[in-house]
Amino acid sequence: MIDEKLIDSLKQRAESGDRSVLRSSELKELFDALKSLPADERKDYGQAVNELRRELTELLSGAQAQRDTLPPIDVTAPFAPNTPSDKRPHLLPANHGSRHPLMTELDTILDIFYRMGFMAVESREIDDDFHMFGSLNFPEGHPARDDYDTFMTIQTDKNGQPFISPAHTSTMQHRLLSSQREQLEKGKPIAAVIPGRVFRNEDLDARHEHTFYQLEGVYVAEGVHTGQLIATLRTWLNSYYQKDVKVKMQPFYFPFTEPSFEFAASCIFCEQKGCNICSHTGWIELGGCGMIHPNVLKAADIDTERYSGFAWGFGIERLVMLKYNVEDVRYFEAARLDFLRQFT
Amino acid sequence: MKISLNTIRAFNARYHCADDVLAIGTDQLMDRIGTQLGALEGFENYGLQFDGVLLVKVVVCKPHPDADKLHVCEIDDGGVAKAVERTEQGLVRVVCGAPNVREGLTAVWLPPGVTVPETAQKEPFVLTAKELRGVVSNGMLASARELGLSDDHEGIVEVDEQMTPGTTFVKAFDLEGDVVLDLENKMFTHRPDCFGFMGVARELAGIQGMAYKSPDWYKAHPEFLKPAGSTLALTVKNEIPQLVPRFMAITMDKVKVGTSPLWLQVELAKVGIKSINNIVDYTNFFMLETGQPMHAYDYDKVKALSSSEAAIVIRQPRAGEKIKLLNGKTIEPGRTAIMIATDQQLIGVGGVMGGSETEVDQKTERIILECANFDMYSIRRTSMAHGLFTDAVTRFTKGQSPLQCPAVLARVVNEIASTGNGQVAGEVIDDMHHDNTTNGETLHAPVEVSKGFINQRLGLDLDDQGIIKLLANVEFQIQPAHGALSVQAPFWRADIELKEDVVEEVGRLYGFDKLPLDLPKRDMTPIVPNALLHLKADARSLLSAAGANEVLTYSFVHGNLLDKVGQDKSQAYQLSNALSPDLQYYRLSLTPSLLNGVNANIKGGYSHFALFEIGKTHVLGKTEDDLPKEFERIALVIAADTKAAKAYFAGPAYYEAKYYLVALLEAFGLAGQIRFETLAEDDSDAAVACYAPGRAATVYAGQERLGRLGEYRAEVRAALKLPDFCAGFELGLTPLLAACQPKAYTPLSRFPKLSQDITLALPPEVTYKEVYDALADELEKRKPEQTLLGLTPVDIYQAEDTTKRHITLRLSVGSYKRTLKDDEVQAMLRAAAAALRENIRTEQV
Repeated sequence: MIDEKLIDSLKQRAESGDRSVLRSSELKELFDALKSLPADERKDYGQAVNELRRELTELLSGAQAQRDTLPPIDVTAPFAPNTPSDKRPHLLPANHGSRHPLMTELDTILDIFYRMGFMAVESREIDDDFHMFGSLNFPEGHPARDDYDTFMTIQTDKNGQPFISPAHTSTMQHRLLSSQREQLEKGKPIAAVIPGRVFRNEDLDARHEHTFYQLEGVYVAEGVHTGQLIATLRTWLNSYYQKDVKVKMQPFYFPFTEPSFEFAASCIFCEQKGCNICSHTGWIELGGCGMIHPNVLKAADIDTERYSGFAWGFGIERLVMLKYNVEDVRYFEAARLDFLRQFT
Repeated sequence: MKISLNTIRAFNARYHCADDVLAIGTDQLMDRIGTQLGALEGFENYGLQFDGVLLVKVVVCKPHPDADKLHVCEIDDGGVAKAVERTEQGLVRVVCGAPNVREGLTAVWLPPGVTVPETAQKEPFVLTAKELRGVVSNGMLASARELGLSDDHEGIVEVDEQMTPGTTFVKAFDLEGDVVLDLENKMFTHRPDCFGFMGVARELAGIQGMAYKSPDWYKAHPEFLKPAGSTLALTVKNEIPQLVPRFMAITMDKVKVGTSPLWLQVELAKVGIKSINNIVDYTNFFMLETGQPMHAYDYDKVKALSSSEAAIVIRQPRAGEKIKLLNGKTIEPGRTAIMIATDQQLIGVGGVMGGSETEVDQKTERIILECANFDMYSIRRTSMAHGLFTDAVTRFTKGQSPLQCPAVLARVVNEIASTGNGQVAGEVIDDMHHDNTTNGETLHAPVEVSKGFINQRLGLDLDDQGIIKLLANVEFQIQPAHGALSVQAPFWRADIELKEDVVEEVGRLYGFDKLPLDLPKRDMTPIVPNALLHLKADARSLLSAAGANEVLTYSFVHGNLLDKVGQDKSQAYQLSNALSPDLQYYRLSLTPSLLNGVNANIKGGYSHFALFEIGKTHVLGKTEDDLPKEFERIALVIAADTKAAKAYFAGPAYYEAKYYLVALLEAFGLAGQIRFETLAEDDSDAAVACYAPGRAATVYAGQERLGRLGEYRAEVRAALKLPDFCAGFELGLTPLLAACQPKAYTPLSRFPKLSQDITLALPPEVTYKEVYDALADELEKRKPEQTLLGLTPVDIYQAEDTTKRHITLRLSVGSYKRTLKDDEVQAMLRAAAAALRENIRTEQV
């Protein structure tokens, strides 16, 4: 169909890295010939010419890669031969460096909780249905699950359930409670914070991210009451903002706490006089909290007559956005130096 | 969910339920709702849009001289409207095109200067006195659509209620100062009773410490009206009692379907429900009142679709069965859906939406009213599967109490009968399967809970009487029992099963804002630090101080990126439901995401930089407890454009990345243990795929394989538009943590150190490390007692067109015992060089 000699010569040119082969008159003629062919031959011929073009492109990129492939080096050496001493490997200027603002903030927050006596456990980024929902008193098919637009994987666990990208750091509660239960028997509390990435399957815009950071807190001991939950959050906020911050609890519903609340801090930007940041409400909503539901404690084999506890969760991005007036949540994970180097 | 405060006040007053719950003022009340009931999404001063709207009597109604369809009316507004042109009799002339306008009618007038209520929320349209075919019309008589009550624009609204002309619309329908609250739905997920305004009314009393008493008709065993005349045959067969614990139905005859009374239309419109007809509106209104959805069927249509007498069958659908719904859509319901059928075909999706074939319409004369209870999980599945989100679904998915069905059904029947819109035509049918051990008084067994338990969980010190009062205010029954309290929730409460549920109730009614704020008390045992988190923090500090920029990138990547770096997608966990096409796989390593950011930043004007990330990666494979393996990683990429590479660096980028890596590892105490080996060819680890063989290395610390370091393959560079000067590393943090060593200290010597350089010529196959290690070994063997050796690179030289390198190393020697002499150091170096010549064929230069 196509002259073998012509094919060979074109391929040779491609192999040698001659990029003009794709625009060559020979190849163009082959394509032009298509129009003059009888209809029943066109299909096969067309395929053959296209295949030739594809092969040539592949050979060219192979040739390019071959050319771009650099010779091996002595990987054990500290620098290359003949490197002048002023161009030897060196670190970049310290003032170019930056820590990610979310991580800096998280460290600040963790530090407060360390000082308050909380240990830290990191959250998983892929988990199973039991930890994300089942152990947290979300029955199968419960409407409360609809509030979490979770990502799921094609791969499944041994029960055939897809794995889940956790939508909250509470996915670690059951593990934490189970592994720390013996603390209670020693008369010591379970006191932990759980930082981690969480995921919501939603479309991105300046205020919505599918990936964000949360900090969960868990405290279980004998005699824990709701007033202590409020006091703990308030103590943290006072330390974080270095101001006297009030905390407002609004009754809410979560399956894994009873009672459940959304908590808000008095607006530190306007001292509750009303400003744009707090939408003139005087309050800034921060997260959810509540007394751990007895079913969650029972799932971890904790005696709910004797022990009680509280838990909370809040997002980190919002705190950073408030602090620096960051206008778009998507910048956090955009790897843009324009953004990052402002946090040197 | 929307609730009108005036509706609540009127309801409470009509049935003597409670003192005025609005007495504290709207602002205060909204605050209390915020702290004791839940978040307010917003509120609306609903009455404002009817400002200036008046009820009037049509006194004169004559055909328009110049238009067939128009009438010229003179209306009596009691002289209320100001600044309006009047006839000698004091009436106001209005032109009206509605077919139903007539003398004697009480209508709703929108005077000039008034905003048409329907447009108030959109683009406000203000009426004027306007000429219509030569006759001036002062404003207009309103249709239901113009009042924002329904879509009805066929005619003007007819006011049935006895009203004095000139009464304001706002006053006539109790809209003065009315505030419609929009309460957050989520907090009522376990409070089905609060999906009715009566439930919210009860809470508003309870949270203010006021007693609430439900209306007499709201009880577990109401009386039903007896059939007034001949009866209509109806059978009900429930084949799925596990999904339909209760199904009540009653037939009514002599039904007059028509427009709803105006008060009813207003009540529905307030909360965003459009009026349809009086029968449907009544069922909707009592749903708004109690939270219990109902459905009305046209009896004759049901009968026509039954084999003989009207027969309702509750069952699951058969394969291939379809139903046309009230919204006009036809669906094939899932096999587990709850269907309402005749004995021949489907007529409704239970608890979700009725079917169009049995719809109540203007011709309907006989109806079946259904008041039932459905399994919330099944309702949710069906709703999600077919995208049907109705007011009934919202309520049934919260798990309504089956015990309130009789009261609500009796209520709607009574209302229809007492307004002369129909009469009962059969005994009520009650197919009840709920385990009714308390004779319908309560859903769950009473909860025994002590004062001590409640106080402990709340940090309070309430006495029994205090607790009893709070709970009795919202109609709980409390008895002393075994030294504790036996708390029985009223029949409409589905959420009180555990002691903690009672604690929540007491706390909320008492006011969580009044709890004592004490911190937990605990001993001073220090917490155990999280070594990995601290390692990450240290690495972050170190690299950022070394001029590198920390980035965070998504845990998910597009398949294209994996292709570009040559990673095998089949090794990655794959997302099945991501909205964004960019999120397809869990990333296999961090490096591709970093490389993805290189070109954009160069184009953004940054000529050279180092990006690093600390994060998790996932490769197909499970842990012992059946969870995907999760890897903790750190990666860094350094890049420079051509100009910067020339200005600041020389030689392969590999060495620059290596310098960063060594600096990092030395900070973790690994100075003497780091090893770089050429990448193994059979290394199938996903993290390896991007590296260029021959210009990349595997990194070890002692026995731990930490990760890889290197430049990237030409294909990767091309695909990601990387500059030539680009290299990086990626390490596992878990092996790094395992390898970490405490820093070692070497005591200082009092004697001066000596330094001498040695230059060795290497055969091509010998590596720098071999020379360095061999020389260090030989020197170690030959060094004087109690001396310390140091060996550092000074220069590497390679003449053009040769393969031989000359390596210059600087030896520094110090003794703890004496001052060393130059010649003994020189002799030591010579001897070592001689040995090297034997062993690895290097020549001293």
